[in-house]
Amino acid sequence: MNSVSQSIDRVDGKLKVTGQARYSGDHSLPNLCYGYLLQSSIAKGNIQSMDVSAAQHSPGVVAIFTPFNPLKIYSPAQAGEEGAISGDVIPLLQDPAVDYFGQTIGFVVAESFEEARDAARLVKTEYQTQPAIVELQSGLGQAYAPKSVSGMGATVSVLADGVTSIDEALRGAEVLVSATYNSPIEHHNPMEPHATTAIWNGDRLTIYDATQWVQGQQRNLAAVLGIDEANVRVLCPFVGGGFGCKGSMWMHSPLTAAAARVLNRPVKTVLTREQMYTAVGHRPTVRQTVTLGATKQGELTAVKHEAYSSSSRVKFFAEAAAHRTSLALYKSPNIVVTHEIVPLDFAPGTFMRAPGVAPGMFALESAMDELSVKLGVDPVELRLRNYATAEPVHKLPWSSKHLDECYRLGADKFGWSQRRPEPKSTREGDWLVGHGVATALYPAHRSHAEAKIRFQSDGNVSVSAATHDLGTGMYTVLAIVASEALGIPVQRIRPVLGDSGLTLAPVAGGSQSTASVSPAVVAAVDSATKKLISVAVSGAKSPFSGMKPSDVSYANGVLQGGGKAVPFEAVLAALDRSAVEGSGTASPGEEEHQYSFLSFGAQFCEVRVNEWTGEARVTRFTSVMDVGTVVNQKTARSQVIGGIVFGIGMGLLEATKVDPNNGWIANRNLAEYLVPTNADIPHIDVEFLNIPDTKFNSLGVRGIGEIGIAGVPAAIANAIFNATGTRVRDLPITPESLLVEQKGMA
Amino acid sequence: MKAFSYTLAVSTEEATNAGTQSDNNAGGTNLVDLMKIDVMDPKELVDINQLPMRGVTLDDGVLRIGALEKMASVAEQPEVVQHFPVISQALLKSASAQLRNMASIGGNLMQRTRCGYFRDVVMPCNKRVPGSGCPAFAGENRMHAILGVGDACCATHPSDLAVALVALDASVNLQGPKGTRSIKLDDFYLLPEDTPDREHAIEPGELITGVTVPQTNWYQRSAYLKIRDRESYEFALCSAAVALDVDGLKIRDARIAAGGVGTRPWRLPEVAQALIGKRVSQETFEHAVEIATKGARPLSQNGFKVTLLKRTLTRALVHVGGGVA
Repeated sequence: MNSVSQSIDRVDGKLKVTGQARYSGDHSLPNLCYGYLLQSSIAKGNIQSMDVSAAQHSPGVVAIFTPFNPLKIYSPAQAGEEGAISGDVIPLLQDPAVDYFGQTIGFVVAESFEEARDAARLVKTEYQTQPAIVELQSGLGQAYAPKSVSGMGATVSVLADGVTSIDEALRGAEVLVSATYNSPIEHHNPMEPHATTAIWNGDRLTIYDATQWVQGQQRNLAAVLGIDEANVRVLCPFVGGGFGCKGSMWMHSPLTAAAARVLNRPVKTVLTREQMYTAVGHRPTVRQTVTLGATKQGELTAVKHEAYSSSSRVKFFAEAAAHRTSLALYKSPNIVVTHEIVPLDFAPGTFMRAPGVAPGMFALESAMDELSVKLGVDPVELRLRNYATAEPVHKLPWSSKHLDECYRLGADKFGWSQRRPEPKSTREGDWLVGHGVATALYPAHRSHAEAKIRFQSDGNVSVSAATHDLGTGMYTVLAIVASEALGIPVQRIRPVLGDSGLTLAPVAGGSQSTASVSPAVVAAVDSATKKLISVAVSGAKSPFSGMKPSDVSYANGVLQGGGKAVPFEAVLAALDRSAVEGSGTASPGEEEHQYSFLSFGAQFCEVRVNEWTGEARVTRFTSVMDVGTVVNQKTARSQVIGGIVFGIGMGLLEATKVDPNNGWIANRNLAEYLVPTNADIPHIDVEFLNIPDTKFNSLGVRGIGEIGIAGVPAAIANAIFNATGTRVRDLPITPESLLVEQKGMA
Repeated sequence: MKAFSYTLAVSTEEATNAGTQSDNNAGGTNLVDLMKIDVMDPKELVDINQLPMRGVTLDDGVLRIGALEKMASVAEQPEVVQHFPVISQALLKSASAQLRNMASIGGNLMQRTRCGYFRDVVMPCNKRVPGSGCPAFAGENRMHAILGVGDACCATHPSDLAVALVALDASVNLQGPKGTRSIKLDDFYLLPEDTPDREHAIEPGELITGVTVPQTNWYQRSAYLKIRDRESYEFALCSAAVALDVDGLKIRDARIAAGGVGTRPWRLPEVAQALIGKRVSQETFEHAVEIATKGARPLSQNGFKVTLLKRTLTRALVHVGGGVA
């Protein structure tokens, strides 16, 4: 059965397009009531009073919880500490302090969503306001080096023998480029808003929750609600996009569960789009300075990458832009990365698609383009001259790296050789045309996972694990991997996921689900077939009764032995058994210490910039990816295309706009927080090398969830430079940056 | 959303005699949106969709558009496409296909600003709560106006259609308790000055019943250019509605207006005047548009609109003027 690396339709596609897939907000239950978050309208201070009298008399109101009438929530913890891990660290509603604009300060429950919303607006809150620092620029004076950034120190230094500092190495460089790059706060904006429906049955909680991690949510909810983990079941069979903002527990979930417990009724809370801008995380704003020293031939001799990222004063989060990029991409005898945190009176940040990597690659790959211009060396050639054959810090060899092939194949497919290096040398009518390239990379992660395989008497086989499908295609991946290992068609596989009661699987984050769960599925197939054989030889009515297990074999859905070949469902029927199941586990092992694991890609784009009015539009995109085995060409391509669209948004459109005076967010909706429309997206050509990384796992699979975005903003900025001669170092790149010269004056 | 009564008007008189606490609803794409976020709270909502304010006709040199016509259908009318391309293009570059299918012409002309402070009741806003202040001057104002900015308000008027219509000297027909009247659309929109809450020269009870646009043959040579951050479903950073009457290479007449830069749709008669009698050339256009930004008051984040307005106008004029080397 050749199921892997084919192009297979989503097995859950029909459920989705016919509206039968039920998301976390789709559950209606008898006696259900609705929760609504009330959020602060100041950035810092204290709540002096909350007058809820009018709200309490508003139609349909069931209860109003505030810091003066709280729901009990225990404290979560910072990463690395004992206790639940949460996107929020302060347990909301427990005290009257306000630490950021849009902080949840009340929870209104009513018979309908609309009644809860109306009542929330009737609550009169009086604040004592304190000055707030809400902009990176204003907070730089308070910047500090954190204890840890992406599992490393705040400063990581690789210096050649005899070199005492990176600045010394830079001073000795023949050619130097140095520039500062800025990226704004960005929001995930998954199409599905966060939604939670909590149902208590005695002391047992069943919760339908939009999450990228059902088992993490189970653990964290139990901790902050003060109940036993075994009494919490989290269900999330479908997720309408996560991009990281559903990877942590956010306080609306325990508040909903706590209210349902107190009220003894099921409660459903669906966040509004506006609430999602402060209640469920964002990508921090980052300022980076990249300084590259090189020889005249373009060999890097020193790389210095300094990053400052914003973090909520009440929840530490580091957007590890320098650590996750400059320590991994280029060969250089001297590399130093530093990171400082700029604490702001702003909502908590969190992981957002390619955390650290997306802004970091914008800076590093823009700087490489600046170096290529200064040296007069082709940008692809410059990258090949600095190709790292081993991971630059610990010098571990790569498990599998074919980035050079990505550059060459991508250049060929894109037609890179036709590019004119001189800016403003290609125009079509009013439009200046430019071509740019950037590298994409993302670490390959893998965690321990367990899966279960169940041979069913109806002739189907179920495959299950507590993993997730965020729209990524994980249902189909499970079906394909099981199909391949079992030798039976995908149509006969029944994948099950999104339930905390299933076997252990990691968070759907860090691009690790397929690499973690697939090997466990293969192990489970092995275990289940052994079990099937054992049952077949021991049952009296079995066609294989009495044979030695070693004389019976399984292949392609059929048991064979003693001259007989019987489909497993017939064996089960003969035994009068509904099913036989087995589970298997898979973990990373010794290879973790022997190799470095990274996915790579080369991303090329064509951008047109109107020379009168400065709009930049991407008109062509080619991306060649080295991500190991591609389990499903179709959903993998979709995911990389989605990443590239995400990157086009980051490059040209996306920015959360914060009023510097009060922390108010100006564009908390999808009309004013701009993401690309179809009209902004050209044909996107995605090609996979599809070279298995079998040192990483038996299937050779690495992740693809995040890498698609990684090189896109830099590729666009570099293409814009090639088109216009203007280097834009601040994202997003909007027309005002490109109005520099009058048309016709060139 | 506050409680309100809902009435289906079966006659125009009924709609115009509704109380001062009432508002008229056609497509509902703007008013209902604003009601949901508590920015507007009429006590009575009068559904006017049954009223006979429909039809698009071109007779005796006048284009008449019923106020209840949908944006999408007007954009596709052959008379509009052929004789008034600037109107068709302005409509097609507005909003999204779904919104254009619902939104009416009258409602489009009455739509409220997208200023985020106006749209969020937790913030002060002189337009929403007169005298409460305007945080936009020192806050988020990239999308805001540079022209017609008073001390009280710097919000832009969001309509693309209105820009095309003021360029072509269109009028709105109003019906109210005291009868019917017609005024130039350019006089219909008020500068914010000290009363930014009062946006239109409309009297209590008055209803837009339609729009009339005088036809001249050379309006066929017109276009709407909209500059925006993204290619669709986005308000203008700057837009230009231009029509040129060109005889050979000589400009006989012109109509010009701009959007995305003014506190109201911004007619530019001085630019038009500066073009008359001149020869079609990029230099002519660049020279003429210099006056467009007279009186501009750029804010902390939108100074680029001074340049962008001139570039947008020039680009549109080159496009419409044609024949420019």
